[in-house]
Amino acid sequence: MIRVEELEKHFGALHVLKGVSLEVQKGEVLVIIGPSGSGKSTLLRCINLLIEPDSGRVFLDGTQVNRRDIRPEWVRQQVGMVFQSFNLFAHLTALQNVTLGPIRVLGTDPTTAGAQGRKLLARVGLADKADAYPAQLSGGQQQRVAIARALAMNPKAMLFDEPTSALDPEYIREVLDAMAALARDGMTMIVVTHEMGFASEVAKRILFMDAGRIIEEGSPEEIFHSPKQERTRMFVGKILR
Amino acid sequence: MATTVAVPTRSSALRVRVSKTAIRGAEMAVGTILVILILQTVLRFNLLDEDLWKLYLPSFLDGIVLSLRYLGIILPLSVVIGFTIGWARISRFRTLSWPLSVFVDFFRGVPPIIVVIFAAVLGPSLLPARFQSQDIGIIIAALTLAMHSGAYQSEIFRAGFMSVPRGQLEAAQSLGMTNGAAMRFVVLPQALRLSIPPLANEFAVVIKDTSLLAIVGGFELFGSSFIFEQQILFSPGNQLSWIFVVWTAVALVYFVMTFAVTELLNAIDRRYHVKGLEAVTV
Repeated sequence: MIRVEELEKHFGALHVLKGVSLEVQKGEVLVIIGPSGSGKSTLLRCINLLIEPDSGRVFLDGTQVNRRDIRPEWVRQQVGMVFQSFNLFAHLTALQNVTLGPIRVLGTDPTTAGAQGRKLLARVGLADKADAYPAQLSGGQQQRVAIARALAMNPKAMLFDEPTSALDPEYIREVLDAMAALARDGMTMIVVTHEMGFASEVAKRILFMDAGRIIEEGSPEEIFHSPKQERTRMFVGKILR
Repeated sequence: MATTVAVPTRSSALRVRVSKTAIRGAEMAVGTILVILILQTVLRFNLLDEDLWKLYLPSFLDGIVLSLRYLGIILPLSVVIGFTIGWARISRFRTLSWPLSVFVDFFRGVPPIIVVIFAAVLGPSLLPARFQSQDIGIIIAALTLAMHSGAYQSEIFRAGFMSVPRGQLEAAQSLGMTNGAAMRFVVLPQALRLSIPPLANEFAVVIKDTSLLAIVGGFELFGSSFIFEQQILFSPGNQLSWIFVVWTAVALVYFVMTFAVTELLNAIDRRYHVKGLEAVTV
């Protein structure tokens, strides 16, 4: 479904991605962990081309998509993204946040988009918040609206960039539950997170990244309990404590 | 489970807004009448002196009309200039940013009265003969007032654009929107909302700044009244109290114009208000 080969990215003098390759099968959930500054967010943004990689190839369904003749908008339309800081459109209600993409990008008529949007809000447990503005919602509710907003584009895969890191502890569960439900429904997902419980429960594979490279790859059991690399052991030791 | 919640419908919300403006208007009217009564009774001005108004009314009305005409040029033009510069300075046109910041700093740093004098005196000589006319100097001066306010407004709009978190632009792009669409549907609606309250403040200044045109011979409300005042002063048997009546009337008109424009913007602000998305109202 998603394949990345030899991805390189510099920000000025900073070498952020040093030849990263990975592959995610249809319906698979891949979790990426690693210390901050290890390039996880940049990797996600390179996959949906929010950031243009310096070199390397990104494949979506077998087609290379980081090419001059493919519009990045077309790629982003098919790969949903959920951000650490929710990034809801502050001037729009929850429902309008969800329907903006379908109406303005896909050209769906507003009535159909509205009905679909309400269904998606119900799916993340927010049917009664359709008319609330982001400022009237808790962090957990905002993040669930953001998930519904990404789903509204009917994406082939979803990217999650530390979706629970900005949340108060009491709201983390509801967001993880929504994500787990999505995974059960067969969504292809790449999730950057440090939620070990979620990773063990939902992911088949975990990647550990450090300093722009993938250091180790394995099942949750392997990564959390018997990591082979010293750096993985040190990092896992810190977050499990 | 069905719960009943009292949701204000659009029409009732509108009624609340309308009455809010009406209440403010009524307050102002009462205040104005009080001021006039105090002037009439304590200082013994007769604001409705028939002899005065017979002489003054024509230049008073002409002045108001001319002031409104200048404002009709200056206000829209200053918004266009301010918005364009504000946008250009946050956009990717980096090459434009430096000259524009010089423009903004110049007009913010120089007293508008000096700019008006230079514009009216030197401006016409820069134009070819076919543009020359009797009031070309004043028209150019009015245009520079628009640039002056545009410089201030560009900072208002720039702040509005910059208040929209970058993450929202990223979110819009991640939905597959082009930069243009993200700008139009996500950034612009918020930037404009955030710009309205400070814009009302700036408009209040611009309205009164039109009186600066008097110094280069623009017979708008202030200028025409100034000429009239000189006539009173130097006419035999002059009535000095008339001078105060004239300036009270002029001040009232500026007040009404300012109040009307700022109330209009406040009404727009309330109409498009979104909870949690607010600028500081000045």
